[in-house]
Amino acid sequence: MENINDLKPQPKYWMSLEQWTQDPEFLKMAENEFLSSPLSSEDGKDGWARREFLKLMGASLALTTFGCVRRPAEKIIPYAKRPVEVVPGIPDYYASSYFDGAEGLGIVVQTREGRPIKIEGNTEHPANEGGMSARAHAHILKLYDPDRATGPLKNLQNEKKTNNQTVNITWDKLDQEVVEQLKKGKVAFLTATIASPATKELIQSFASQVGGKTYEMDEIPYEAVREGQKLSYGDDVVPQYRIDKAKYILAVNNDFIGTWLTPVAFQKMFSKTRNPDENMSKLTVVESLLSLTGSNADERFRIKPSQTLDFLMGLAYQLNNVMKVGGATANADILSALKEYAQVDARLGLKEGTIARIAEEIAHHRGESLVLSGGMTTGGKDAVAIQVVTNLINSILGNEGTTVLAGAPLNTARGSYKQVSDLMKAIKDKSVETLIIYGVNPTYALPEASGFQEALRNVPVVIYAGDRKDETGFQADYIPTVHHELENWGDLETSQGVFSLQQPTIQPLYDTRSFQDSLLAWAKGLGKKSARLGSENWHEYLKSYWKSEIYPKVSKAGTFDNFWVDSLKSGVVNLAKKDSSHRSFKAASFSTFKKRDAVPEMELVLYPTVGLRSGELANVSWMQEFPDPVTKLVWDNYFTFSIGDAKKLKLSQGRMVSVKVNGQTIEGPAHIQPGQAEGVVGLAVGYGRTRGGKVCDGVGINAFNLAQPDGDQLLTAGFKAEVTPLSKRYDLATTQGHNTMEGRQIVVEETLAQFMKKPGGQIHHPKMMTMWSEHKYPGRKWAMTIDLNKCTGCSACLTACQSENNIPTVGKKYVLQGREMHWLRIDRYYTGEPEDAGVVNQPIVCMHCDNAPCETVCPVAATTHSDEGTNDMIYNRCVGTRYCSNNCPYKVRRFNWFSYTDVKQPLNLAMNPEVTVRNRGVMEKCTFCIHRIKFEESQAKMHDRELKDGDVKTACQESCPTNAIIFGNINDPNSEVAKRFKQPMMYDLLEELNTKPSVRYHTKVRNAAQIKSHGKEEHNT
Amino acid sequence: MREASMGIIDKAISCISDKGQDGIAGIWDDEHKLVEAAKKTRDSGVVGFEAISPFPLHGIDEAMGIPLSFIPWVTFVFGLSGCAFGLWFTWWTSAVNWPILIGGKPMFSLPAFIPIMFELTILFGALSSVASLFFICGLPRVEPPVIDPDLTSHRFALFVPKTAKGFDKQRLMDLFKSLGADEVKETRF
Amino acid sequence: MMHRTPLILGKKTYKDISDDICALVERFPSPRFMLGLAGAQFLFLIFVLVQGAIVFKGLGLMGVSHPVGWATDIVTFVFWIGIGHAGTLISAILFLFRQKWRTSIARTAEAMTVFAVMTAGLFPILHVGRPWLAYWLLPYPNQRGPLWVNFRSPLIWDVFAVSTYATVSIVFWYVGMVPDFATVRDRAKNIWRKRIYGLLSLGWRGTAHDWNHYEMVYMLLAGLATPLVLSVHSIVSFDFAVSSLPGWHTTIFPPYFVAGAIFSGFGMCITLMTIFRALVPTIKDYITMEHLDVMNRIILATGMMVGYSYGSEFFVAWYSGVEYEQYMILNRALGPLNYSYWTMVTCNVLIPQIFWFRKMRRNLWVMFIVSIFVNIGMWFERFVITVTSLHRDFLPSNWGMFHFTMFDFGALFGSFGLFLTLFLLYLRVLPSVSIAEVKPVSKVGYEGGEHGHH
Repeated sequence: MENINDLKPQPKYWMSLEQWTQDPEFLKMAENEFLSSPLSSEDGKDGWARREFLKLMGASLALTTFGCVRRPAEKIIPYAKRPVEVVPGIPDYYASSYFDGAEGLGIVVQTREGRPIKIEGNTEHPANEGGMSARAHAHILKLYDPDRATGPLKNLQNEKKTNNQTVNITWDKLDQEVVEQLKKGKVAFLTATIASPATKELIQSFASQVGGKTYEMDEIPYEAVREGQKLSYGDDVVPQYRIDKAKYILAVNNDFIGTWLTPVAFQKMFSKTRNPDENMSKLTVVESLLSLTGSNADERFRIKPSQTLDFLMGLAYQLNNVMKVGGATANADILSALKEYAQVDARLGLKEGTIARIAEEIAHHRGESLVLSGGMTTGGKDAVAIQVVTNLINSILGNEGTTVLAGAPLNTARGSYKQVSDLMKAIKDKSVETLIIYGVNPTYALPEASGFQEALRNVPVVIYAGDRKDETGFQADYIPTVHHELENWGDLETSQGVFSLQQPTIQPLYDTRSFQDSLLAWAKGLGKKSARLGSENWHEYLKSYWKSEIYPKVSKAGTFDNFWVDSLKSGVVNLAKKDSSHRSFKAASFSTFKKRDAVPEMELVLYPTVGLRSGELANVSWMQEFPDPVTKLVWDNYFTFSIGDAKKLKLSQGRMVSVKVNGQTIEGPAHIQPGQAEGVVGLAVGYGRTRGGKVCDGVGINAFNLAQPDGDQLLTAGFKAEVTPLSKRYDLATTQGHNTMEGRQIVVEETLAQFMKKPGGQIHHPKMMTMWSEHKYPGRKWAMTIDLNKCTGCSACLTACQSENNIPTVGKKYVLQGREMHWLRIDRYYTGEPEDAGVVNQPIVCMHCDNAPCETVCPVAATTHSDEGTNDMIYNRCVGTRYCSNNCPYKVRRFNWFSYTDVKQPLNLAMNPEVTVRNRGVMEKCTFCIHRIKFEESQAKMHDRELKDGDVKTACQESCPTNAIIFGNINDPNSEVAKRFKQPMMYDLLEELNTKPSVRYHTKVRNAAQIKSHGKEEHNT
Repeated sequence: MREASMGIIDKAISCISDKGQDGIAGIWDDEHKLVEAAKKTRDSGVVGFEAISPFPLHGIDEAMGIPLSFIPWVTFVFGLSGCAFGLWFTWWTSAVNWPILIGGKPMFSLPAFIPIMFELTILFGALSSVASLFFICGLPRVEPPVIDPDLTSHRFALFVPKTAKGFDKQRLMDLFKSLGADEVKETRF
Repeated sequence: MMHRTPLILGKKTYKDISDDICALVERFPSPRFMLGLAGAQFLFLIFVLVQGAIVFKGLGLMGVSHPVGWATDIVTFVFWIGIGHAGTLISAILFLFRQKWRTSIARTAEAMTVFAVMTAGLFPILHVGRPWLAYWLLPYPNQRGPLWVNFRSPLIWDVFAVSTYATVSIVFWYVGMVPDFATVRDRAKNIWRKRIYGLLSLGWRGTAHDWNHYEMVYMLLAGLATPLVLSVHSIVSFDFAVSSLPGWHTTIFPPYFVAGAIFSGFGMCITLMTIFRALVPTIKDYITMEHLDVMNRIILATGMMVGYSYGSEFFVAWYSGVEYEQYMILNRALGPLNYSYWTMVTCNVLIPQIFWFRKMRRNLWVMFIVSIFVNIGMWFERFVITVTSLHRDFLPSNWGMFHFTMFDFGALFGSFGLFLTLFLLYLRVLPSVSIAEVKPVSKVGYEGGEHGHH
């Protein structure tokens, strides 16, 4: 990863092999290195603080001395003997991997004195190219979650497994008892989709050794995609969707930008097609709820989830039967199957000829268009059919082989409800003696209707390899508490042939053990030894796996050890070869199905949110206080209603409703969602945890419990719902006060045509005059440009900022009072008719105005201007008059109403030592990551070179999957920011106030006929 | 400077511990008679006598030939210096001693400093005038001799100290009586 | 007209006047008075507790939030500062205009000023996030550079304006009392009273020479206090006018605020004078219907001035063509906080109209109730300016709401406790009518007033 290397020239992060093998320090330690629990390596006499300190120091020592090439030794050595590579105050960076359940990301973990403080994207990794998701950032806080279990646990269950007395247990005792149990055989594994090839192999071989079966499930189901692929092309894959190759993208109830499969990668690709020029792609979205994808649409149509199939069939009909596009034209089955969908526009409530028009447009881009569908919102009975039709259309349009590639499929979403029901059958016929659950929380994520919770009670022994006694843990007998990923080794295969390693970046905080080590220990206990199962520990196993499975495939890698160290360095091994797959559509599959979903008058759909997804990070307060990119609501899930339905049902925001759906009746608050299709109620999953921890327990409703098993499928949409408004009200906390721009020039939108004719033609520049001559900035002057055209509103930057700048969360009660602390917020405005609202997003940071209104009014000069053009906040000088905030037209300043700094142990370890924690009564705000600027400046000085463009990256810029944020020195004419800043399509927010912001926005360009109204009268030049 | 201040201090001390001097006092119940009496006394060639009243008397200044107070000049001078100080201080702190970039405004942004200058003008003016009042009237004074307690309520007096030019005990007593004084006595004030 | 009707009722001799007024200081107060004092002290206790909690726990206890960074504290600060102005107006400006009727109420009016400014002064200190560092607003040499204050900030102007105003008012007030202290001293039988008031009187003797300078200084102070009082509320209005916020960024503010201040000040005067008359019957001869009548007229006049300002804001919003300004003004009248706007208009513009009728101007109950409404209305005027402007500004995404908490009410009503406690104690221990100033005018209205001053 040379970019990181030259970003941080000193020190080198990973010692070369020679060095560490020669290093006497290492040799000494290698001798008396032992593998046992960290606690046992401590002398009991020490107070907690010192032990913790030493542990951390020891960790960093081990990590850096060994360059993370070996399992960190628990040898504790104070910093008195500082390892050569560790300079206190200089961060170390370790390439690693993160798998969020569906998407794999290459990450770089920033550590300070041996503790990870931030996760950044690995620019080397082909999947995300440095892009990040909000959850990937928040993942680090789970490491420091105070509610994690601190050691192995045993539940003393009674016969019915209802009472639940938990005792601590030593690892030895646990291993002993588990091994005894395993000897009985009949072992079943229930895991999430395992994206780690080594782990997968380990589990497989262990299972085969103990004669067990493995079952995989995904909390957010994607099985329909694979099913569809199987039926249409005969291979069980999740293909790669090459959005970057598409000029026309049609997403039908598919949120590929927000939550579907691999959003970060999709956004990366999508943004590459969004340069406002003749090649700019067009995104047409047909959906029920307003998703993040829908809010980025150039054109958007609303249908009910249960009508998804009709729409796609209608489209296929137009393309195939009417326009005779593609090769399937002749096929009788298809022709007949499509006939009945001749005129669906009216039925779907679309304008007559809409589908025909879309067909026209998309047909212009054969082979360079892409139709996407699927996700929880289409998880009705037609889920698979929808996939098949989608595949048909892609095949008709010749996208198969160009934008849909199956040659190197994504290594994800292998789980299915079928496997779960198989497991339950197995349990029923008593063929499961021991169930080992890993990586999923089925008790929470499966509805009671599925009978899983009951089934679990009938398993003699349940071993749950989780990090706490959560919903599933409550039902388990043993909890071999696992490491957090940042404490553990591992690897990741995002798509076929793209491998990356995951390395520990901190000594395990607690007496935990990686699941893999547990398996190895038990294997040892069972005395069964296949080649690798005999490995001394997981790290050895991983290495030998890579040695035998991956290393051979690599040409000219030198010795394995070199290869190993290099892969650790760069974090990725890309063996993917040019994918030139081309498959032909199996017409046969088509005749097999009929439309099964009825179209109820009011239907309920479940959907995952960008912030919480399946709720695995629910106990991370950052994610609970993460403003939903669309609704901007926090700390709750809620029933979303269209404006039409709200009128009909006389609903108002926050009004409690009771919803009757398949026999259950649940109460929850109503949220009125502009742009949502009528006759649809949405409810987000991931909330309503009961044993997730202090943060998330009791927040919202568990929507998973509303899913319905239907044979081998778990339905997540299309439920007939009866809604009755209640008299009660409920406070929904939002971070955005008002949703329209009131016709003010805030986000400037242009159509592509307008843009091509005159970029920025829609910007209204007021005539300005001033009584002062401006200050000169002879040296550097920092500035930022934000490309609203690229920004998708995914809010990764918001969490990146939170992680980088030690920004506290305040809780729902205070968000209701508008006291959230985010330095970077993303304003989301609705445009056009509320019923059919469009969306624009606008990230707002401190504008660092040259004529900063906040500075003028501060009585004590606590906020002043630096000679590099940044608006600095001097916390220890601030007395807290809040005048600056009142006078800030952008209201980017945040006030510490109470003391937010004293966080619960060990959350304090997540703090970035470079950024002051602000105490009660002072104002704070975005600093342009001044600490990063200063760090790079000193680095440059140390190696006396000039600071060059790109050296300084702000946290938000770094994590943006679409590179919408550019930061740099505007006095350097060659810097990217300087080039952009003066361009005609860039504008100042609230220019008429003459604040002269250092942040400029690129207009939002829509590849559409016209722009939706911004409310009230329009500005025009 | 130093001598001056010493002088002031001495005077202050002498004031505070001033136990007055012997003389003759005539007391009236009607302020108009007093003004009349004061006039007559002055005409009779007495210089350096004093009139005591519970409230300022109309025409007594003319009667006794007391000139207009000079305090306005003090006020004026100190007011101006207050203004000047305000100007200098704001300029020196924001443009010289530690210039800081603030809101894109020039280091010496005069318009913003005017309120400060104004307030200091008033403050200096007001305090200086009161200070000089106290100084001139010899306040504060500890337990000064009292001719008659009612002189701060409803009676009016003339007092001629022995040291006064043209002091003649008998003549003055007669004069006061003839001017209808309700009471004439030798006293200390 | 004032010269014909007597200023002081009941043909008082000088001695009567001394007796009447000193009696308040010399006699033991009536139970009615003690009751009032107890009530005031109870409110004061609330104030102490509430502010204590806020300083201890954090400002978050109050309703202030994002984007409404200023609310009750600042509103109440401006409110009290405004109250103070009428006092100076009566004592200084009317003095310069030789309005003799002012003499018997001047002292109390000044007292009101001093206590109002003291009360007001607490709020800017207590409203900051770190009150224990509030002294950083003073430009004193320090070891941080020295790091001085930012003289461009209206808050610093406030510091200078308010502290100057407090100083000058107190000095003015005190100088006025010196001769009266002497009176009390000389009447004192009790040795301690003699000593204490002797000390306060600084040994005043009342010689013609003293009086000569004294009157000059008094006039000078009046002359200085007049521009001062105008500047103070102008500067307070700069806190808002200098900012860029729609609804704050207005050139009409200085006169608008001064008019409002006088209006509210006279409102409070009426409230206090009626209470004063109720608690201390003897004072009726000194604070007569004539006084109250005149003050009510001023209320009527200034009430219409502020009414005019409200109207002009609409005009300017329309005329400026600034959309933010236009939205702001509509939002005030029709937005979620419109109750405050209409309370303001009703209390400040409509209700005082009743004073067109002489009968009403001279009816104690009517004027008392109206004056209470004026106080309420003027508090809400500042609330409207501060909060409704803040809660919806430029970027709609920032818009928020303001909700009162118990602490807001505690701080507001508690401050009345502080003010009234001080005021009642003043009635008890200081000569509450200017003896030396009343005597010269006591003859006015009798014997054609040829013995009076004119």
